[in-house]
Amino acid sequence: MSRVRAVLLVRSLARGHAALLGAPFSQVPHLAPRSLHCNSAHRTSEKSVVPHPPEPGKKPVKVPVPYEDLFQLAPGGTRDKASFMKALQSFGQHNVRKRGHVDFIYFALQKMPEYGVERDLAAYNLLLDVFPKEVFRPRNFIHTLFFHYLLQQDCGVAVLHQMESNGVMPNKETEFLLLQIFGRQSYPMLKYMRMHLWFTRFLNINPFPVPRDLPQDAVELATLGLQHMEPDLSARVTVYQRPLPDDKTDPGDPTKPHIVGIQSPDQQEALARHNPARPLFVEGPFSLWLRNKCVYYHILRADLLPPEEQEVEEIPEEWNLYYPMKLDLDYARSGWDDYEFDIDEVEEGPVLAMCVAGAHDQETLAKWIQGLQETNPALARIPVVFRLAASTGELLTASGPEDLRQSQREEDDDHLQRQQQGQS
Amino acid sequence: MSRCGLFLRRAAAAGRACRALVAFTASRRPLRTSPQSRAFAKELCLGKIEKNGVFPFPEVSQDELNEINQLVKPVEKFFIEEVDPQKIDREGKIPDDTLEKLKSLGLFGMQIPEEYGGLGLSNTMYARLGETISLDGSITVTLTGHQAIGLKGIILVGTEEQKAKYLPKLASGEHIAAFCLTEPGSGSDAASIQTRATLSEDKKHYILNGCKVWITNGGLASIFTVFARTEVADSDGSVKDKITAFIVERDFGGITNGKPEDKLGLRGSNTCEVHFENTKVPIQNVLGEVGGGFKLAMNILNSGRFSMGSIVAGMIKKLIELTAEYACTRKQFNRKLSEFGLIQEKFALMAQKAYVMESMAYLTAGMLDQPGVPDCSIEAAMVKVFSSEGAWQCVSEALQILGGLGYMTDYPYERMLRDARILLIFEGTNEILRLFIALTGLRHAGRILTGKMNELKWGNVGVAMGIIGQKLRDALCQTVNMGLTGKLGLVHPSLEDSATKLEQNVYYFGRTVESLLHRFGKSIVDEQLVLKRVANILINMYGMTAVLSRASRSIRTGLRDHDQEILLANMFCVEAYFQNLFSLSQLEKNAPENLDKQTKKIAQQILEKRAYICAHPLDRMS
Repeated sequence: MSRVRAVLLVRSLARGHAALLGAPFSQVPHLAPRSLHCNSAHRTSEKSVVPHPPEPGKKPVKVPVPYEDLFQLAPGGTRDKASFMKALQSFGQHNVRKRGHVDFIYFALQKMPEYGVERDLAAYNLLLDVFPKEVFRPRNFIHTLFFHYLLQQDCGVAVLHQMESNGVMPNKETEFLLLQIFGRQSYPMLKYMRMHLWFTRFLNINPFPVPRDLPQDAVELATLGLQHMEPDLSARVTVYQRPLPDDKTDPGDPTKPHIVGIQSPDQQEALARHNPARPLFVEGPFSLWLRNKCVYYHILRADLLPPEEQEVEEIPEEWNLYYPMKLDLDYARSGWDDYEFDIDEVEEGPVLAMCVAGAHDQETLAKWIQGLQETNPALARIPVVFRLAASTGELLTASGPEDLRQSQREEDDDHLQRQQQGQS
Repeated sequence: MSRCGLFLRRAAAAGRACRALVAFTASRRPLRTSPQSRAFAKELCLGKIEKNGVFPFPEVSQDELNEINQLVKPVEKFFIEEVDPQKIDREGKIPDDTLEKLKSLGLFGMQIPEEYGGLGLSNTMYARLGETISLDGSITVTLTGHQAIGLKGIILVGTEEQKAKYLPKLASGEHIAAFCLTEPGSGSDAASIQTRATLSEDKKHYILNGCKVWITNGGLASIFTVFARTEVADSDGSVKDKITAFIVERDFGGITNGKPEDKLGLRGSNTCEVHFENTKVPIQNVLGEVGGGFKLAMNILNSGRFSMGSIVAGMIKKLIELTAEYACTRKQFNRKLSEFGLIQEKFALMAQKAYVMESMAYLTAGMLDQPGVPDCSIEAAMVKVFSSEGAWQCVSEALQILGGLGYMTDYPYERMLRDARILLIFEGTNEILRLFIALTGLRHAGRILTGKMNELKWGNVGVAMGIIGQKLRDALCQTVNMGLTGKLGLVHPSLEDSATKLEQNVYYFGRTVESLLHRFGKSIVDEQLVLKRVANILINMYGMTAVLSRASRSIRTGLRDHDQEILLANMFCVEAYFQNLFSLSQLEKNAPENLDKQTKKIAQQILEKRAYICAHPLDRMS
């Protein structure tokens, strides 16, 4: 802990030192009065990896952002990888001594999602290439000990951090660049090593992987979500209703939400065996997160049978033509060979089908049940009760999205703090 | 040819008189001996060797032997000179004139009693003839489909009228029989049989409806043994669905065939679907009792298996001749193939397998021929498992000897390979039969040991101390002696080592069975990997017993080349002994050799994904 405090102390000292020295060390030649302090403030606010769209609520004082002109699009140009690369190159041409490269890199990081290159390793490598080489390498152990060129190192870490958040694995070229820029004994290098270690361990840790690029189409997304939840691979997905294509929507026409359902043969069998005197329930909506998208689904389920109605499955006497299916011995497995843990299992009623629909009202879901009746004729005789929750269960805040964003930012700061402590 | 058939009949008739004599003496035998011999395999599970009926090796009288030889000679001649297996395989059909000749030789009625016009062969003689007909797989299957299962039901439980009506025509081959049990949704699961027979309103007919698949002889047959569900009133008045067997003639109407199936091997035999649509079956044609079809089906299946041992042995003997000729003529590096050790090894293996399965098959046949109705279903299943696996292994090794030549369709070897593959599958797959062998044995042992187990469960100190004492004595190198060896032993001294090995195996197997029953109790039915090992050990021990018994007899009666038999018997016994030791150690609790848990886990993970789940060796993380 004392070490952490020492580190923080050293950091503030370094900052003060830089402030004292003033302009000569500033990285922002255009905005001399803002000086380094300002610069660092800018950094902490921009540290968040999530790009903030312009906030409509409060109108900030319009401060000209440096290097915005570099990212100005030529008329008719599109924001893509090529134009991003071009912007990076134009910084080099525009500024031979690479002055202000820290600010530029932070700014470029922020711009990356707009150009759709936030998951592009080559773009990150090119961005790191903006750093001047050899200058920030520690020359002796004291340099190593006392945060040689802290600002630049932080900036390097930020680049790696954004790579991490987007799941981009650094490669040999990244390592080579970092070595050239910061040397082996530096925070970006440490971050790189850690990423290399943990990425390989965490990349495939999810036994139920979700594809990296989710389908845009609602029906396809629903299919994916349903298949993600269904453990039985022979389950069949049925599209009961397709949404109307956007261009054909008539304002007078009622909307036609998509309805996609899934049912496995076992569920079908259980439904056929269901006692028609007992109702079935449609419940939902429940949420399922697939990466950053949320899908709401409904289930068709039955209540658990009371024990007196449960049929005991008896082994028919004449069953197997070849060998006895049970031995008529009156002793069972000995306690010494029973390795089963004593687990209290709560039995639930069976789920008989699932669906994802575009709307969560009873009318839409009734269409799903109608569709199910085609493959499950028994369903026509069974009463179905709709038990729909009013809301989707989503976290709704009274003050709107800004509070959310605020809290998110706090979280980010918190995260940053933790990260720094972890590094020290 | 008809003269030949006539000759066979006469030979059979000549044999009848002497057999009547044998039957007379045989019927008196139980009076002289102790109570009927208990089944050998079941006693093995208790750690005992039942010597009655096993030692000495069953013999046939000189008259019977002459009779068999008289029967076999013309059949062998016919198969060598007139049957072209290559052609049958290529055309996918047994030529009509070949079938006619088979009929005139009387081969369609080998086990049908003589009073109904069959040859009335005993099990031993049937096995001997099976060796000869094995020269063509398709014909073998057609014949066994006809009589080992197709008409067996009539012989086993048919009424006098049914026998008199159907057996003569079946024996002459005028009618061919087929056994209709398997359905699209029902292999060994009898509860899912869908074919249904409902009693007509006048209660004189059953109306049969349903579909049977993979019926051997389905397209040729005119008599079918069909298993179908019928409603049977229980003793307490409730109506239940039970399986009943029927004799169905093609002339009853409503019977159609699918087209013959195209198969990997045995292409000359006819296999197809058979559909029954409102076929009217008179109630006189119910086979056995109404509702007794399940037991009958089990009996038929159990009784037909032992013959596979001799059939396969016949095939391997032929194979050894063919490959030996090749190995002794082909030269590589100026040396004959037969001089290479790796080739010699394969011949030894083939000879050993043939020797063991022959011994097992004839031992079982001899047991079955004993008076009374001995239950040899476990032994028969063991013969089937051992011989089918031996066949596959031997044919595969033979192909290795032949190299690329064996792969060519111009030579008979690839056909033999294809034909041999089905042996592991039909008449109950080997996996299922292993469960049958192990569970039937364990059930017997479990019943007898019930008292001891319960005492143990209740914590009876005396019994527990007894067991501990026994373990101590075992650990202190107590020698096992079950009376096979020694001065007046049943086994010849030159096989003494092997006999001691067998005794040791049997003794420790008995111990293991006890501990397995104690550990798992009746839930052992779910421990299939354990059961597989139990079955393997049982099969090995039965094989060891058979070869020891046979080789001892050969030495003592001074048969020719019995020194080779000693070699083969000792070789098999040593191999089987070490295999058994390994299996026994795997059956111990927490044995490091036992990888069942891992095996199950791997399989579960794969089956969950329904695919091979490992990453490609060339995959990278970045």
